[in-house]
Formats: sequence, C-alpha cells, structure tokens
Amino acid sequence: MPSPLRARALRTLAAVMLLVALLVPGSAPALAADGEPLVLRAGTDQDLQVLNPWNSVVVADFEVFTLNYDTLVGFGQDIEPVAGFAESWEQSEDGLTWTFHIRPDMLWSDGEPATAEDARWTYQLVLDGQETENGYLGEGYLDGYLTNAGVTSVEAPDAETLVVTTEFANTLLLQAYVPILPKHIWSQYTIEQIGDVTAEGFFQNNPPVVGTGPYVAVEWEPGSFIRFARNENYWGEQGAADEVIIQHFASADTMVQALRNGEIDYVRGVQADQFDALEGVEDIVTVEGFANGYTELSFNTGGNSEGYGGSTSALSDPAFRDALGYAIDKEALVEAVLAGHGEPGSTIIPPFHTRWHVEPDNPRTFDIEEAKRRLQTAGYELNGDNRLLDKEGNPITLRLTWPDSEAENGSIAPFLVEWFGQLGIQVDAAVTEEGKLIEDVTGPSGDTPGGNYDIYMWGWVGDPDPTSLLDFFRTDQIGGSSDSYYSNPQYDQWFLDQRAESDPETRAQILDDMQQLVYDEAPYHILYYDSELHAYRTDTFGGWVNQPEENGTPLFGYGPFGYTKLAAASAEPSPGPSASAGAQSPGATSGTSSPAPTGGGEEPASSGSNTILLLAGVAALVAVLAVGFVALRRRSGAQEEE
Amino acid sequence: MGSAYLARRLGSAAITILLIVFVNFLLFRAMPGSPERIILRGTPNVTQERLEAARERWGLNDPVFPDQFVGFLTATASGDLGFSFVARGQTVSEVLAQRIWPTIILFGLGEIVAIVVGLALGAYSGWRRGGPLDYVGNGASLILYSTPYFLLGMILLLVFATTLGWFPSFGMLTAGATYDSVWDRLIDFLAHLALPLATVALGLIGAYAIVMRSSIIETSSDDYVTTARGMGLRDGRILRRHALPNAMLPTVTLIAINLGYVVAGAITVEVVFNWPGLGTLTVEALTARDYPVLQGVFLLLSVSVVLANLGADMIYGRLDPRVRT
Repeated sequence: MPSPLRARALRTLAAVMLLVALLVPGSAPALAADGEPLVLRAGTDQDLQVLNPWNSVVVADFEVFTLNYDTLVGFGQDIEPVAGFAESWEQSEDGLTWTFHIRPDMLWSDGEPATAEDARWTYQLVLDGQETENGYLGEGYLDGYLTNAGVTSVEAPDAETLVVTTEFANTLLLQAYVPILPKHIWSQYTIEQIGDVTAEGFFQNNPPVVGTGPYVAVEWEPGSFIRFARNENYWGEQGAADEVIIQHFASADTMVQALRNGEIDYVRGVQADQFDALEGVEDIVTVEGFANGYTELSFNTGGNSEGYGGSTSALSDPAFRDALGYAIDKEALVEAVLAGHGEPGSTIIPPFHTRWHVEPDNPRTFDIEEAKRRLQTAGYELNGDNRLLDKEGNPITLRLTWPDSEAENGSIAPFLVEWFGQLGIQVDAAVTEEGKLIEDVTGPSGDTPGGNYDIYMWGWVGDPDPTSLLDFFRTDQIGGSSDSYYSNPQYDQWFLDQRAESDPETRAQILDDMQQLVYDEAPYHILYYDSELHAYRTDTFGGWVNQPEENGTPLFGYGPFGYTKLAAASAEPSPGPSASAGAQSPGATSGTSSPAPTGGGEEPASSGSNTILLLAGVAALVAVLAVGFVALRRRSGAQEEE
Repeated sequence: MGSAYLARRLGSAAITILLIVFVNFLLFRAMPGSPERIILRGTPNVTQERLEAARERWGLNDPVFPDQFVGFLTATASGDLGFSFVARGQTVSEVLAQRIWPTIILFGLGEIVAIVVGLALGAYSGWRRGGPLDYVGNGASLILYSTPYFLLGMILLLVFATTLGWFPSFGMLTAGATYDSVWDRLIDFLAHLALPLATVALGLIGAYAIVMRSSIIETSSDDYVTTARGMGLRDGRILRRHALPNAMLPTVTLIAINLGYVVAGAITVEVVFNWPGLGTLTVEALTARDYPVLQGVFLLLSVSVVLANLGADMIYGRLDPRVRT
C-alpha cells in the first residue's frame, strides 16, 4: 500500500524533474546570429579590481584601462612607439624638451573634443600628486612613468600641441603607460578624491567610462565580468568585436572547460597541464608567450660587512657568486617547476624585450666540477668535514628564503639545497611571509641592519621600457628598491647613458654592456623566464596577432593592439606568419577553423568516451550495489521483524 | 520555553561574538611584517617617509590597547569593516554585500531541496529498513556523503555542461546578456543555478538521509511505536505523527549547524562553478592577501555559526521539552 509519505516524495521528485525539463531546451549557450553584436569573451584568472587607473595594480586593471584610454604614445607590435593620443613627436637638441603633436578632431566617447589640454591636465595631475602628503597618486604605480623620465613641467600652448620638459635627456616618455583622461570628467574631483580610496566621494570611475580608446566599459559586475562596447568615436583601426567581455574565473579548470565548450573565446593564465591537454584540440590554438619578467636568485652582496645582515663575506665576492652559477641547472628547473613552459634564465633584460635582450658572451653551464674548480681558484677550501670555508675560515651556511606568495619557488629550493650541498655549502631553506620578507630585504636603513638574508628567490615584472628592470642595480637604489645592494660605478654611469640615448642602436650597445656586466658579476642569478600560457578559439574570431610578434600573446600585452587586429572568423583566413609564435603547437595557424594536423579524433572524442565510461561505471556500480544487496537481503530477510 | 533558558542562550551567544571580534582584531596585528608594510605592499618605491605616513593615517602609532582596540570595536559595531585592499575604493561591507546574496540563494535553495528530499529519503529508508529503496538509497547516500563537493561539481560540470551542453558551465547569469523580459532573465538564472544547486543538494542529501535513517531506525524500535502499531494505526500515520518528530532532533541540529556554513559558501562548489558568492570571494581574498576582506568574511562566518547554533538551541527547546530546564 502506498504510504502518504511515499506519495509526497514521488510528487516532489516529479516536480523537480518537470523543472529540469523546462530548463533543458532553453539553456543551450547562445551563438551570435547575424544582426547580433559580435562579442569577444576573454577569461582571466585575475580579477579586475578597480576602474580608477591611478589605483590599478594587477594586469587585469591595466588591460582594462588600456582598452578604455589611449596613452600619449601607443605600443606597436614589438612594443615600439607608435601613434597614440599623439600622432607624432620631436625631441629638442638638448633632449630636455619633447613636443607632441596631438591628433586633430579627436572626440571622447561622449562626443566632447579631445585635445592637448586633456593630456596636459592628466600629466599635471601626476606632478601634483608628487606634492601631496603621500608623495604619490593612488597606488603610485603610474607616477614612475613620468617621474623616472624626469618630467618637470607640461604645457599645452594650443589644442594640438603638448610640450613636456624633463630634467635630463631620456626617451622614456615614449613608453609611458599613463592613460590620457578626459579633463571635463575628472576635473570635477579633487586630487584626494581621485587618488585616495578612503576619501569622501572617492571617484570610482564606474561605467560608462569616457575615453578615447577603441572600447569603453559599459557594465561592470565586480568579481565577475566587465563588458565593453565599441567606441564609435575611436580614431584608429577598429577590431571586429562589437563588444568585449573580460570574465573572471576563480578556477582555471572551469575556465578551460568554458573555452572547450565555446562559451569563451580566449583564456589567460592556463596551467601547464591544461595547456598541454589543449594542444591539438579542434578550433583551439595554444600560444606560449614570454612573460615580461623573470624569477631570480638574489645575493646579499653586502655580505657580513657593516650594516648588512648576511652571514658570510663570501656573498660579497663576485667570484664566489659566479662559481655558484655553475651549480644551477636551469633547464632542470624549467622542466621540474614549469613543466617545460619557460626558458632558462640568463641576462637581466628578458627575451620579451626583443629589441634589447642579448645572450651572455660567457654563458655558464651546469657543471658541478667546474663550480668546485672555480671556488678553489677563488680561494675557498674544504675543511675536514667537507664543508666549504670562507676566507675567514668559517664554514659557509646560506639561508635561503622566498615569499609565501610564490609557491613555485618552494619547488626550486630543494634543488639548490642539493646542488650547493655538493659544493660543501649548507643551505637552510625556509619560506617567509611576504610582508616580513620585504622588510628583511630592504635596507640598510636606520638602525636595523639591512639585508637580513643571504640568498633569496623572487621575481620581477618589467615595463614596456627595460629601464625599470635596470633600476635596482644602481648604487642610488640601495635603501630603496635594490635588494642585492649591488654597487658598480660603471653600471651607474651606463644606466644614465642609456636612459638619455635616443639612437636605438647606440642604446642597444650600452644595454648589451650592462647585461654582460651584471651577468658576470652575478648579484642575481636569473633562474628562468616564465611563460605566459594563453589559448584561444578560432571559430568566432580570426586575425589573432601576437605582441610582440615573436613569442608574444595576442591579448594582455601592451595597449589595445591585439584587439584592433581581430577579424570575424567567417572572413577570409588570416595571414599565416602572424601566428608563428616560437613554441606554438605545430601547424596551428590562426584564423582558419581547419582541424589541426595532429588533432584527429583527440580531445572531443576522448572526453566523450571518458564520460560514457564514467556514466557506464556509475550505472554498473549502482546495479552491482542493488543486485548485491538484494541478494544479501534474501539471506537475512527472514530474520527481519516487521 | 522559559525566559531563563532564552536569556542564557542569548547571553552565551553574545559573549562568543565578542570573543570572535577580539580574535579578529588580534589576527591582523599578529601577522609577521608590520601592518603598514602589508597595507603598502603593492606600492613601488616605498620609502621610510611613506611608511611613516601610512602608520599615521591608519592610526598604527596609537597604543594598541585601548586606543586601537576601542576604535576597532566601535567601527565594527557600526558596520565599518574598513576598506578592501583589492577592490580599491570599495569598503569591505560593500564587497561583502555584493557577494552575499548569490551564496544565500544557492545554499538556501540547496538546503531546502536537501531537507525535503534527504529527510524523506532517510525516513523512508529507515522505516522500510531492508527494502529495496533502503539499500539503494543508503548506498547512494554514503557515496554522496563521502564525495567531496568539488569532485561532485566537476563531474556534473563535465557531464552536463561540457559533454551534453545542457547547462552553462560558469557564472550566475550569462555575462553581458540583455533580456527581453523578466522571464528570460529568470530562465537564464535558473539554467546557471541548476548545476551548482544540484551539487550542493546532492552533497547535503547524503548527509541528511544517513542521519535521518539511523534516527528513524532507533525510534522505530521504541515502545510507543510498538504500542501504536498494536492499536492498529496505519504505518504512514505512525511514521509521520509519532516517529518522525522524535527522530528529527539530531537532524535539526545538523541542519542548523549547516545553516551557519551557508554563508561560508562551501568554497569549493562556488569555485568550481565560478558562482560569484562569498566562497569565490574568500579564495580571491586569500590569494591576493586582502586582509580586511578576510577579516570581514571571518567575522561574518563566525557570527552566522553562532546565530545558527542559537537558532538550533531555540528550535530544539521547542521540539524537545526535556532540554528546556
């Protein structure tokens, strides 16, 4: 007899199933039909944090303002200066005055005229920010682009001319990542309201955002996505996408699934194993681009001298540091830690900077015996216990650390312990909390001994111009951004020379010398250059072009370059060479949706068969359970009392 | 229910919350590395002057007790939980307010579905112990109970979103979509809700069914049930009117405790489906070291657990006269 409870349960079940049935037809992911806007959906593992560019910190923030706004000078395919807000520019004879010619008849996305006055106002805001109590504006990330270029004043004598005066000659203004903002919107706010997040009436710059870039932000769901619409007033080449959505994902797995399903077109921040699994999948292209940065092993070159907290004088000896370089197998690190997705490190300007990076003249190899020989030549002997002694006769023990925010550095540590151990050097490895580590490595300052560490690992991220990556080896920066306390007057002089040099070839030569010097004297050993792992679909968009051309990625570079080059996939196949990024999967030319040569019957089929197996497995399990328990029940059923 | 009982319960809840606020205060200051370093963490070119200025601005030069602590207490009491490091320009309260509703909807509905189905399944399984539904149901409940949420979620995602394409795989609504009517929006929302809801519900059903089942088995052997049967009452009536209310007690406790975790957002489910709730917020704040938001989430979670337990005590007191003393 059916009990009322059972009937109720069945009713609930029926209701649930009805609901499911209702949902099923209406929920297939919508595809863009004719007449509907063509939407580019990009997924990223980093969340957009703020739309006010002065408070931007992470890549997602920068990418967003780069779509909304122009910089004074744009970034071309190889990050070279191209027209941006300004069409052209000259530098004066003495190098101290720049004249930028602003494009005439430009309009902001709200229809107001965009003139040199907007640029002047924006740059003046940065200069004013230097005068505030904090000494910088917002988070202080953008100020450096002008202050490091020595900007002292800016004027707009007429609507199409901007004159910038600098304290010393340099070309850094051509790579300044400062967005030009509409004065008529931003001048309504005080400098506190623009820079200070805790100020009353802080200007969030919520959508719709007014800019001169190719897209304008029209909708923002914090923590979820930001949506851009085409800027009808844009002066430059428009990409095929009518709308752009940058979607944040908390889990890289879900992001990759969404790419496979066709729910998004582009992913940034794929893990190595997912990246490998995506290779050869139909309609998906993987691209491994060089990151603008590296991971390094830094030495406390102050050693145990006055004011420094290192444990041994050996750290101050370039010969010692050089010898240790022969005990680091960088290729092994790339294999083990990055699953092969990276390049062994060499010089301090990463290969991302295709115009400036050079390979060392005297490269080191991984050779423990060579390391031992060099140590001996430099005067380091082993004692009876096979411990290496420094020149004062003390056994060398190095404290190795890294920040807790860089988990992969923890994977590197055991290698170093092992390799240096073979040289007779004991290495004590321990992670340090990020904030404390910053304190430990900054100095000397005040009473605390500076540089309370021996060797440590962290990474740097560069700017479009390599100057920022050269800065922290300057003597001036000891007590500032220098964490190795390296000091070499020749280097300091070269730094000033390259900064002032406007002839690219001469500058390249100076940068070559600087890179060789630092490589030989080794305040850092660059362990590896990380790769950026991206992937995209080719069935909605074509015309994917890498920035830089060699070993770059189409999106999340500098400026809106990649976005403006996109074409609809239904158009003719895009030109081949643009897709030849170095480590890309074989034959994966972008644009056409022909199946990749190695792809035949791989991922989609196998994931289908995997699922079928899974379903079959579950069904079998349930069946076995049911049958098994029914059989058991027969045996014990007689004893049940009802 | 006696007012003494009520007063005692409220009192202990209040004290617990105060302790939580105190621990919250200590945590931030117990971090290695000075707070001003943490605040200025991302900023380049930090000089000693900037550090000093930050200390002044954030009141870190005042003595910790009583000045900073009292300031913290009054701020928390008035709902001022500080500013987020990551979502710059937004206060922690704003950030939490944005993210709390998706979590409440997902877990609220999940709880309701799980309660209805789980209790029914458990009750029927236990009552008809040895029957076919019992073995299958019990087996399934055990499997569901022991499967981690994220695995369950990934399986559902793989089967229903990727392979079959019946449901979208992420988010709460289709990003950037415009809707012709409220119904379109509702349908889109329900389509996105289906899989995470199924994950949450299935996981909880397992737990509730098992607890309910053993509870019913226990009560079904009690004297009063035998008496009722002897009196000729129908089976279903006995179950519903007599056995079930008594068997529900442990389950009520379980439900109430789980409700506290509703706002924690069972992080894993939200992360798998990219559901924009408190769970994903916690993961992001952890990765980005957004300490004020973490503090806020910690406070919210702790207070909800305390309140949920208070609620459980109240309901328990109502259901079971024996504990009212």
